[in-house]
Amino acid sequence: MKRKYEIGLIINPEATEEEVRKIIDSIAGIIKKAKGSIENIDEWGRRKLAFPIEKHKEGIYVFINADVVGAAFLNIERRLKLSEKVMRFVILRLDDKLKKANKLTKKWKRMEKMSRKSQEIKEESLDDENSEDMEVEDED
Amino acid sequence: MKTNQNGGSNSGSTNTPKYPKKFYFSRRKYCVFCKDKIKFIDYKNYKILENFVLETGKILPARVTGTCSYHQKQLSKAIKRARHMAFLKFVEPKRG
Repeated sequence: MKRKYEIGLIINPEATEEEVRKIIDSIAGIIKKAKGSIENIDEWGRRKLAFPIEKHKEGIYVFINADVVGAAFLNIERRLKLSEKVMRFVILRLDDKLKKANKLTKKWKRMEKMSRKSQEIKEESLDDENSEDMEVEDED
Repeated sequence: MKTNQNGGSNSGSTNTPKYPKKFYFSRRKYCVFCKDKIKFIDYKNYKILENFVLETGKILPARVTGTCSYHQKQLSKAIKRARHMAFLKFVEPKRG
């Protein structure tokens, strides 16, 4: 089952552009082998770090969004851990967070209705909670 | 000890009236994220996260900032991820 993932990397500032390309291509290669697709690649470039990592004050930031099967990350994680140029990385699954957020849209709809009704009639705002029809949005 | 007893008796005899309770009027707090209808707090938006962190790097409690419990949970996770990726500081002791 394919899911949306986000990978964040901090690469050693001493790495050349070719080495950065190699790291990105190696991740992309694994994703393509697992029949996934890459949605976009964000390269922030050099940035100051909030605190030194491995005695470096700067880092090269790269973010990758992808649609993959979760099993592909066994390979990706191992490669990122072993490579010396990658200082830190984060892997996030995004789609379940968006599903949970649908609870919020219900809450906001209720709040909007409440506020509208309270402006019109203050007394009857509490009675209409049960009559509301909740619509669930699917964002997958 | 004598001086203390005298002082106590004096204050008791004068029966100073208690100050009336102070009432503070403040604007009602609200969740910033609910107002803007933000569903998912991203750790990359570190400039937003900086508003919910003390100078020392501690996460501010929800009762101070007024965020709802749903967003406070997301916030704390986002801040911790941002620390791992060196967008924010870890907690440091105060200096001076």
